[in-house]
Formats: sequence, C-alpha cells, structure tokens
Amino acid sequence: MTDYQVLVDGTATDPGDWQVEWDDRERGLARLVRNGRSVPVLVEGQGSEWFVTLQGRRVPVTVRTWRERLLAEAETSAQSHAGPITVKATLPGLIVAIAVAVGDDVEQGASLLTIEAMKMQNEVRAPRPGRVVEIAVAAGVAVATGAPLLRLE
Amino acid sequence: VSLRTDTSLPAAPPFRRLLVANRGEIAIRVTRACRELGISPVAVHSDVDADALHVRAADHAEPIGPAAARESYLNIGAVIDAARRSGAEAIHPGYGFLSENATFAAAVEDAGMVFVGPPPSVLEALGNKLAARRSASAAGVPIVPGTTVALEENVAGVAELGFPVMLKAAAGGGGRGMRRVDREADLAAALTAAQREAAAAFGDGTIYVERLVAPARHVEVQLLGDRHGGLAVLGERDCSVQRRHQKLVEESPSPGITGETRQALLESARRVAGTVEFHNAATVEFLVDERQNHYFLEMNTRLQVEHGVTELVTGLDLVAWQIRVAAGEALPAEVLEAPRRGHAIEVRLYAEDPYHDFGPTAGRITTWRMPAGPGVRVDAGMEEDTDLRPEYDPLLVKLLVHADDRPAAVARLRRALDETHVGGLQTDAGFLRWLVDDEAFAAGTYDTDFIADRWRNGPALTEEERSLVAAAATAARRSSPASAPATTLAAGSAWGAAARREGLRR
Repeated sequence: MTDYQVLVDGTATDPGDWQVEWDDRERGLARLVRNGRSVPVLVEGQGSEWFVTLQGRRVPVTVRTWRERLLAEAETSAQSHAGPITVKATLPGLIVAIAVAVGDDVEQGASLLTIEAMKMQNEVRAPRPGRVVEIAVAAGVAVATGAPLLRLE
Repeated sequence: VSLRTDTSLPAAPPFRRLLVANRGEIAIRVTRACRELGISPVAVHSDVDADALHVRAADHAEPIGPAAARESYLNIGAVIDAARRSGAEAIHPGYGFLSENATFAAAVEDAGMVFVGPPPSVLEALGNKLAARRSASAAGVPIVPGTTVALEENVAGVAELGFPVMLKAAAGGGGRGMRRVDREADLAAALTAAQREAAAAFGDGTIYVERLVAPARHVEVQLLGDRHGGLAVLGERDCSVQRRHQKLVEESPSPGITGETRQALLESARRVAGTVEFHNAATVEFLVDERQNHYFLEMNTRLQVEHGVTELVTGLDLVAWQIRVAAGEALPAEVLEAPRRGHAIEVRLYAEDPYHDFGPTAGRITTWRMPAGPGVRVDAGMEEDTDLRPEYDPLLVKLLVHADDRPAAVARLRRALDETHVGGLQTDAGFLRWLVDDEAFAAGTYDTDFIADRWRNGPALTEEERSLVAAAATAARRSSPASAPATTLAAGSAWGAAARREGLRR
C-alpha cells in the first residue's frame, strides 16, 4: 500500500487504527469503527485534498504521497518570495465599499474592501503588507468566488 | 346541521388559492399548511429559483424577476401581478421580504385579495420601532432606557444614559443596523456605519439608542389574534443564543426565568398587543436582566422563523390559524386556552463558518441527510445538489425536537444532530453539536453573550478528533480510483497544475 503523509490543519497526524466502513461512498458517508465504537463522518474531496466533517465540523485534511509532498513544498517556497499578489474574492457577493486607493501602503490585516454576501458585510483584509498597485473592481459590482479584487506589491 | 365539535380543521377551505410570496423553507411550510387546509398553493420564484423545492411543492408557480431580491421577492408590483395571474384569493408573505411591508399589505388589499397578516396601519405603527417603544411605554410596559426620538435629534442624551449603549435601526429587524458602542469616542463612527447599513437594508437610516442590558436573556411571547378581538397568548420562547444579534437556538419554555417573570412577560405582551388593532400571528420580544426585570424590545406582526417551537409545545398549527384568521374565522377556546406540554428546542443550520466568526460560506450541497424519528421535526428548503445563492438568507434547515422535559429534549437534539450530515460547505452544525454538550447550556444559564463568552471560535481539535479525520481522509484516498482521470482534478487546483507539469517533465 502507498504510504501517505496526512496533514490535519497543516500538522502531520497519525490516522491510528480506526477501521472505515463506507455507507455511501459516492456521497462520502462513512463510519469509523474501533473497540465497539462507531463514529459517523462525511468525507469529500479528491487527489490529495479532502474535507472530513466530524460532528458537524468540516476539517481540511491533506493526504499526500512523498512525491506530492515535494511538489507542494517546492510551490510554497516559490510563492513565499516577495512579489505581487492578487487578492481574490473568497465568497461571491456585491462590492459595497473600497477602503483603499491605488498607491496606498497597507499593513497586514488592513481592511481593503467590503463584500456584501448573504446580507452580511464582509471585510477583505490584506494578507500581507504591501502597496496597492491595481484595483480590479468598483463599488456596486458583483463578484464571483475567486474573482481578482486588487493587486498588492 | 353540523355535528362537528372539533376545530382542528375548518368546515370548508378558507380560500381556494393562496399565493406564497416567499422562498425556501418558509414557503414550503406555508405550502404544507395550504395542502392540509384544502387550499391550492401558488409559488413565486426568481429566475434562479425556477427549479427550487418550494416551486415544486406548489400547484402552480409564477416567475417574478431576476435573482436579486429587490427585483423579485421584494418587488411588490411583480408579486401582485403574479397573484392576479394565478387567481389567488390571498397572499401569505412568510417572514422577511415583504412580510412587514405596509405598502405591500395595502397593495394586496387594493387588488381585492386578503393579506395574511395584520392591517397595513398596524404594520406601519409597529414597523417603526421608535413609535412602538413610545406606545408600549404608554401602555405601562417597561422599555429599555434610551431615546424615544431619532439619535440625531438627541446625541447629548446618549452620554446621560452611560456607555455601553446599543444603536438600533428604527425600521430595523434581523440585527441589521445594530451596533454596540462602548465609548463616546466611538459613537460618531458607529452611528455612520449603522445608518448606512440600515439605509441599505430598510431604505430608512433612522437610528435610536438604548442602554445596553447585559447580561440579559432574549425572551419573546407568541401571540395569535383574530378579527373579533380574540387573543391567544401562547407562551414564551428563549432566543438568547445569538450571533450578530441574530438567533441560532430557540426553546420553550425558557429555562432562565421564574414563573413570576413568565406571568409578567405574558401580561406585558398582552398589553402591547392591546395598543394596536391586531390580528394574525405576532411576537413580542423582551430582554430579561439578571434580576428578572423585563424590558420591551419590539413587536413583530408576522410569522417568526422559530414559530415551530411554539407549535410543538402547544400542538397548534400557527400557519393554518394565520390563514383561518385572515379568512375571518374566530379563534376557538381550544386555541385561546391552549395548554403547553413538554419542552421544545429549535436549532438553525446556516451556511456559516462558526470557527471563523460565523462568516458566510457558499457552494453546492453535495450531501444532505436529515434526522428523523420520535419527536424530531425538519423544516428545510434545501436538498442534495442545491446551489446556495448569495442573494438570499443562508438558512439551510431548522431542526426541532420535542420531549417531556428539557434534559430529554437536549438528548433528543444531540441524537438528531448526530443523524444530520451536510456536505459541500461548512455549516454551523459543529457549533450546535458542541452546544448540546456544553455545561452552561445544559444548566440553562446562558445569556445573549453566550457565544462570545463560551464559544469564541470553537475549541481546538482533540488528538482523537485529529486521528479520526486523518483516518477517514486516508481511507477515502485509498478507495478512490488509483489513477484518477485528469478531468476529475479540480481545474484550478495548484496540485492539479503541478501534477500536470510534473507529468510533462518526465
């Protein structure tokens, strides 16, 4: 059997000796069984990226081969070099306010703009310090998940 | 001559056709009441809802416009036209959307149809929370100390109240336009933000201020009134478990008030109802402080999201009675004096991430398993493979349980949550599952700061939980096809791209 490295919330974790009983493999419904206990879970995902919902909590889990691990680590190190980054919408909604202008220097965590979704106002914050070099949206514009909002350098 | 003495069903259907001016779970709830009463239900839908569950539940459906609620579910002209086209005799607005809109209620009456709700004048009088505060106070009902005029007209009065204070929207509801202000220095900025939010949500940016009552419980009283002066006071619901001033859990009876307080609340609710020519279902909301003092907050003359809690303890169908009362029927003694039995709890599953400040989540529901069994009620507007729309309320389903007493109801709720599986997005189910095991919740000693004080963003995963999710994901990977075809790799995933690059390099 292939050996996998398992990351729960980014930390390497030992799966232990739970047995998995699939109730509906297609919809991801299973139970973990050990010593007369049975714990229902819901599993979604593919490849190396999975979500496991346990007692209502949906936890991201990475299950990767050593080859995938090397690839992922190479990608992370490439991204960490300071360069322009594009801040993207993490949820679909309507841009209601933009708090910065091109040329502004922002701290990490500074409010960049506000997206209204599900009737709530959500602040988009700077993932790291930088200068705003481009703003791709305007107030009143609807955006989809993943839409580029602005660029930081 | 009829020999019927029971009143659980009317002698004849109150209306032939009724249009449900809403979507999601509440549209389905009203549709169900129509079916049981022998009324033909008509649905309305925006373009993106054409295949929605609530549309399929109805006999007939009318399109009313594009996805944006302003252009469809809030579009008075479109809803009235749809009702006319469908031949409906009455319109039930559900909650939210147009349910408390006096202009809409008047337009329904002008079109010769019956509005299942109070007269437009009552909606107007109670829709203004400031005016409602003044009239409740005049009726001898205690109100939270604060201004009875718009804040702009009395900013000096805020300092006299002492901080912290709550800013609230006069046209408000649902927590929008509400801001807690702890220091005078923050007042101006909070006022501007609250005004903007209120203006966007309600088209009226008027803000008033109340002294913060904390710790406090949020307890509300369910009323049902007919057109003949009959008023049923159907007990209370405790709605103190809230985030962003919006309710997540409701139960009846309240575990945190004395019998004396309960009687005082019911009496105050009766008095508030007496200030208006009221008929329909309504809720009078109160805060109850540590010393069991209660303060009137507002009266909502519509069906509440959490009406099912009262239905479980009274055995009454509040929606059916709303419709029957609208048709002119008088409430019988069985309703006016309905006894309450046992304990009921409702929890709301939302598309929200409780581990990140209950922020919104989105996506497609890929798995949907709902609980069943004794004492469990599921009010849902979703199903498997539903795409969540960012335009609408993120409520997925209300789970309700009923049992002989509170410990049994909590045990039943725990069991029901363990039978519930929603896949495709993070929901607040993890919070709810934590809640039923929490000591303060079990003791019933929670207040409106419960989530901020005890949950924050949830506990860290335990070692066993980490190993469980690791085992499940590993088994899932092992049982997926050994070499997944390229099309199943998420198109934009970094790993997919990297794997393809790697594949080419060899």
